[in-house]
Amino acid sequence: MDTHAALYRQGQARLDMLRQLKSRDGQSLTSKMKEHGITRRDFMKWSASVTAMLALPLPFSTLVAEAAELADRVPLIWLHMAECTGCSESLIRTDTPNLDSLIFDHVSLEYHETLMAAAGWQAEENLEHAMEAYKGQYLLAVEGAVPTANNGAYLTVGCKGHTGLEIIKHAAEGAAAIISVGTCAAFGGVQAASPNPTGAKGIHEVVDKTVINLGGCPPSEKNIVGTLMYFIMFGKLPALDMFNRPKWAYGARVHDNCERRGRFDAGEFVEEFGDQGAKEGYCLYKVGCKGPYTYNNCPTERFNHHTSWPVLAGHGCMGCSEPNFWDDMADFEKPLGRQLLHGIDATADTVGAVILGATAVGIGAHAVTSIFAKPLEE
Amino acid sequence: MNHSATHTRDLIFSPAIRIFHWLRALSILVLVITGFYISWPFLVAPETNDIQVQSYIRFAHLVFGFALTAITLVRFYLFFFGKSDIERRSFRDVSSVSSWVKNLKSYLWMGHLNKAGVYGPLQFTTYVLISFMALIICITGLVLYANVYHLGMGGMMWDAAGWITAQMGGLAQVRIWHHYLTWVFVIFVLVHVYMAVWSGIRFKHNSVDSIVSGYDYHKKHK
Repeated sequence: MDTHAALYRQGQARLDMLRQLKSRDGQSLTSKMKEHGITRRDFMKWSASVTAMLALPLPFSTLVAEAAELADRVPLIWLHMAECTGCSESLIRTDTPNLDSLIFDHVSLEYHETLMAAAGWQAEENLEHAMEAYKGQYLLAVEGAVPTANNGAYLTVGCKGHTGLEIIKHAAEGAAAIISVGTCAAFGGVQAASPNPTGAKGIHEVVDKTVINLGGCPPSEKNIVGTLMYFIMFGKLPALDMFNRPKWAYGARVHDNCERRGRFDAGEFVEEFGDQGAKEGYCLYKVGCKGPYTYNNCPTERFNHHTSWPVLAGHGCMGCSEPNFWDDMADFEKPLGRQLLHGIDATADTVGAVILGATAVGIGAHAVTSIFAKPLEE
Repeated sequence: MNHSATHTRDLIFSPAIRIFHWLRALSILVLVITGFYISWPFLVAPETNDIQVQSYIRFAHLVFGFALTAITLVRFYLFFFGKSDIERRSFRDVSSVSSWVKNLKSYLWMGHLNKAGVYGPLQFTTYVLISFMALIICITGLVLYANVYHLGMGGMMWDAAGWITAQMGGLAQVRIWHHYLTWVFVIFVLVHVYMAVWSGIRFKHNSVDSIVSGYDYHKKHK
């Protein structure tokens, strides 16, 4: 508990520091909540659940609540690279405005191409101003991969025609922390799939700073907001896994917490979509579920207000939060052992069986020849 | 009547080598069958899910996987530090071009296979490669194990397993390489058994039985 006490003090000191700073629009979170019909009770429940999600003990929920109120002191710059905006959509496209989307609204969002009113030269000026005014303090969130082939010419953004590569390098210089939101920013995503003509890469491959990778196509709103809250609360990065993903979200495999895991262990498998097993909710391993190779909290956190997630909806996980998933996890509706090898359009087992057959033929030929061969002299 | 022995009998395989050979053979057999099952579970679902088919098969795979890991390590040790140098002597043949030529010719029905140790150079090289394949398949297996059992030994290996997973580019890559390597063993076993039988017949000595009894017989030259 000593480490927790120290962490708590660290959080308090950080929040005291933030309180000294100027808020962005002067409107408190409480009044914004009232406007959106969110009650204090909702807020308390939200604080407690974020605390639990971050694997912190319950007393930290007061820190989470304070951090949420002070979110408008932390400048956030959100850049879009080669992407589909699905990650932003994951966060803002909710049926009713909930606290996750409200926090995103409350945080001091200095630049976000999808959400800002400014356009053209004015937008460019906003970005440059934010990067200059908050140098060394702003949190940089990036959505999308960076094309690097032909010196980054496959992506230019804004009226000045800067390449994504130039923008990201410049923005990373003054950032207090960098979050790659989604698989494209984290690992290159679909754009980086073979043969990758644009040389698309994850952010961590083009900047020389630590980058938090939030894998997922898209990552759930919980994982995005949880990471934001952690940074606001402590001013530092959470514990990260082997691919720099926060351990609180990506510490366990999808398979480990899957509601169909019992079916897997019992050997009850869906053989094809729509069969009796599918109706009974059997395991989706044989129709290609990649949950066993994928680290994420989808089974526990789910998506769209905790409503559902792919496996609950009846399709296997396709491993979207893993590096190189588009190539490594293919085919999405076959298990890995039945993956078609690129270039020869055959599975490893077919190739293995052919080599085994060729070996058997070779052995047979050798054996037959041995019958007719001249016996060994003594 | 004067009966004198026409052959000499030499102990070529120590009991440890023989025991580990057969334990390894058993492990490989069980691992290949259960491994292909885990990759594509082909049995139909049981009457009740109290029968945990997949769990039982995974359990067998893990038990024999640990056996293979232990044997692989012991065999590496025995190769370098075993009392008899009959295996180590083959280094001399591996580094000699004329030994290689003699070896390959003898497999094509031309001449004898004279060797310094118990193995010919091609045979020895194959065994070295298969031993390293065993090492890699054991390591990838342990990485996969650490992801299923998070406590105890799995927990102790967790950091190392995470590092290896990252180096290989994700757990899917670990799994698929584990699968590819299985085929190396399947093909090896077929060639290995054939060559053991064939060389006994061709070179007129004790071959298959040696790994059971430990003895080889050589004709006495007067």
